[in-house]
Amino acid sequence: MTLEVILFYAFALLAIGSALLVVSLKNLARALFLFFIVLFAMAGLYLFALADFVAITQILIYVGGVLILMIFAFMLSNKELLADLQNTSKQFLSLPNWQAAVLAIGFLAAISYGIYEWQDFTPDWITTNLRNGQVIKPTDNTINEIGYKFITQYVLAFEVISIFLLMVLIGAAHISRREEQA
Amino acid sequence: MITLTHCLVVSACIFCIGLYAVLAKRNAIMVLVGIELMINAAILNFVAFGKYDESNYGGQIFALFAIVLAAAAVAVGLAIILNVYRKNKTINLDDITDLRD
Amino acid sequence: MDFLTNISPISCSLLVVLLPFLAFLYQAIVGRKARSGNVSLVAISLSAILSIYLFWNQSPIESNIEWFRIGDKRFFLGILLNNTTLLMQALVSIVALPVHIYSKAYMKGDSGIHRYWMYLSLFCFAMLGLVVSSNLLQLYIFWELVGFASYLLIGFWFTKESAAQANKKAFIINRIGDLGFLIGLAIVYAQFGTFNIVELFAVNGLAENWFSQVNSLSGTWLTVAGCAFFLGAMAKSAQFPLHVWLPDAMEGPTSVSSLIHAATMVAAGVFLLATVFPLLNETVLLIIAIIGTTTALLAAFFALTQNDIKKILAFSTISQLGFMVVGIGIGAWDAALFHLTTHAFFKCLLFLAAGAVIHEMAHFKHETNLDFDPQDINFMGGLKNYMPKTALLMGIASLALAGFPLTSGFLSKDALVISTFEWAVAKGGLYYAFPIILIAVSLMTSFYIGRLILKTFFGDFAFAKNLKAAKIHEASKTMIYPMAFLALFCLFIVFSWNPISYHLSWVLKEFNLTYTFEEIHSLHILIPVILTVGSLLMWWIGYQLYIQKKQQVKQNALFRFSFNQGYLNEFYAKTIIKPTLLLANFSYWFDRTIIDGLVDLLSKITVALSNLFAWVDKYIVDGIVNAFGSIAYGTGNLLRWVQNGRLQSYLGFAFTMVLLGLIYLIVI
Repeated sequence: MTLEVILFYAFALLAIGSALLVVSLKNLARALFLFFIVLFAMAGLYLFALADFVAITQILIYVGGVLILMIFAFMLSNKELLADLQNTSKQFLSLPNWQAAVLAIGFLAAISYGIYEWQDFTPDWITTNLRNGQVIKPTDNTINEIGYKFITQYVLAFEVISIFLLMVLIGAAHISRREEQA
Repeated sequence: MITLTHCLVVSACIFCIGLYAVLAKRNAIMVLVGIELMINAAILNFVAFGKYDESNYGGQIFALFAIVLAAAAVAVGLAIILNVYRKNKTINLDDITDLRD
Repeated sequence: MDFLTNISPISCSLLVVLLPFLAFLYQAIVGRKARSGNVSLVAISLSAILSIYLFWNQSPIESNIEWFRIGDKRFFLGILLNNTTLLMQALVSIVALPVHIYSKAYMKGDSGIHRYWMYLSLFCFAMLGLVVSSNLLQLYIFWELVGFASYLLIGFWFTKESAAQANKKAFIINRIGDLGFLIGLAIVYAQFGTFNIVELFAVNGLAENWFSQVNSLSGTWLTVAGCAFFLGAMAKSAQFPLHVWLPDAMEGPTSVSSLIHAATMVAAGVFLLATVFPLLNETVLLIIAIIGTTTALLAAFFALTQNDIKKILAFSTISQLGFMVVGIGIGAWDAALFHLTTHAFFKCLLFLAAGAVIHEMAHFKHETNLDFDPQDINFMGGLKNYMPKTALLMGIASLALAGFPLTSGFLSKDALVISTFEWAVAKGGLYYAFPIILIAVSLMTSFYIGRLILKTFFGDFAFAKNLKAAKIHEASKTMIYPMAFLALFCLFIVFSWNPISYHLSWVLKEFNLTYTFEEIHSLHILIPVILTVGSLLMWWIGYQLYIQKKQQVKQNALFRFSFNQGYLNEFYAKTIIKPTLLLANFSYWFDRTIIDGLVDLLSKITVALSNLFAWVDKYIVDGIVNAFGSIAYGTGNLLRWVQNGRLQSYLGFAFTMVLLGLIYLIVI
């Protein structure tokens, strides 16, 4: 067992365990901070897929943007509300939770089964690329490549996503505007 | 050697946990967190598959797009949650049943 | 004239029959507007002229057309002309003509006069068709038609309860006779396979050779057939005991009574018997003679005490018909037809004269507002001073009826009585009763007709003191002339040059019948003398009783028996009508209790069944339907829970579906 594998398992366990804690904790603040851990662990896992730029972006956007936003929103909600939510969640296994758990486990089983069933059937494009050696190698400068790709091959999607982001910005600002000012 | 299967299994676990959060959590923010988990699971899949596509970098590019979309979704989602809170004085999804006939 | 002389007797006779029918159609179509009756009058006049033109001594001639066919049986319509039918046709049309003229005055102003002419034309058509029919089936049809026309005319004033009752009575009693006729027809057809009168009843025809037929019916059937035909004749010719309808039939207009119920239709029975005469065997003839004598006697007896002028004449008619029937019974059907002919004229005249009297009395009653029955002879008297012509004409007719010398009645009646006597002599023993009774009846006839004349025209008028308020006039000319015309036919001269001997009358000469009995010359002197002297005696008694009022008429049992017409109506009421009513009541009860009970039971069962079905429907069928509804409702209610407005639930369902889809994909 190489260090690489050990690290992968460590990150995987960290991510899964943290995620489990996130969904099982009653305390919203703790859950949100544990969500940090999940996101970090996920970013770490991306590295094993040789996606260093994605991992960095993950940390930047999620940790720097999304999470801050969430905590900000959490901060905006009043304490009574949070207390109320905690109180109503006192039961260990309420009916919807139980159903959700069953559903989630069902999905996990189905997906695991799928993975297990088809792990031997590697898609053609993967085998072709493996044969031709067209796989991302740890030595590749992915940031360069992604930069080129963004402004050449994926320029349309890139522009569309920028417009989309602008729309989201405006929309979010509009939605969260106070009613009295409308 | 980290194979594709490893990533997929982890991704599946994260996805299901996110699913559970979306379905079970009463707090709207936690539902949003669940969605983020699911998106992350998807991103993990993207990058895991993208590792075998050097010529296009499709996996990583779309992972980035997904991250952006997730961020946008969170932004809009939080704005909506804020509005819902203002309107209903609660973000408990059990109490928000305006869709009921 | 070639046109007239070349016309065949058959088409001529056809015209005679059809002219009144055309008049009937005209009256029926034009209806209320045709009040004058001129069309009917013209039609019957032409018929009369044509029938006179045709009259007498045609060689027997017959014409048939096929009417319809049943299998290989062919049925014909046809006209038969021989002396009998020609005599009858001429008689009917000649008697009908004055009656038509008379009716113009008599029925004037009646609101239903258009119907009157219509019915009268219908009757003439039917009667003329009846007498010239060439086969029995056709004769039967006209027979019914005549009965129907009679029914209509008796009930002409149908708003009057008694008239409605009378025509019902006439109709029902005629049905009995028609039944007999029909049975006779059936037997004849079964035996001979034909209805043709010539084939059946000609000299040496089929009827005389009953037993020579292949597959002949037994002799009993011959008797039955004879009796059946006689039953038909009995009802039509008002023979005892089926005579009861005729006195009631006087409810019709008097002109109708004179034509139908005195002269023509009632004679149809005698005509029928004369036609089927060869079919009648000894037994039947004896029955006929007995019935005829009984009828003649009883009717004359009843006539003695009646007060209604028309009723007296009606019973007189029945009595005279009895004479004719006796004539048939003794085999002297030529004498019967002769008497029929003479009787038609004088009885018609009697009725018309009586009608004139009634007309005046009714008029008088209307003018003076007195309350009396205008037909009751007790309220008349002395009318000869006011209506001398009517009195004279009626007197002539009465003499004819009584069989006084120099009248036609003398010839025909004597022919009958003398023939009967000779027949009785030939038979001997109890058969002497027949001529003796007939002589007695003749004397009674003289008495009652004398009583009628005396009470009506002689003595003092009952309402003489009221004469200032209203006058009694002579009948109008349109009434007198037809009566005078008929009076002409009451004289001997029309029928025979010799006023004494009936043998010389052309009617009898032409029939040229050979009797089964010997002629006894002494009787030809004796009987007329007895009858004439007897009649004179009777009139003297009547004069003493009714004019001089020497002695009060005793109201003894016999009188009451006669006055109440032998209690026959009461007898029928007790023996026939009451049981019929009882039967009807029983049937009604049976119908109500048993039949209706069954129906009710059935309906109750039905109701119960339907209740059961309703229950089944309600709880089983509807239950099933409701169950479906409930299931749908329950499902809906169940699924309503799904629609709880919680996003997470929706999402959960969505994912459940996805999961199920995945499982499906995996399993498959």
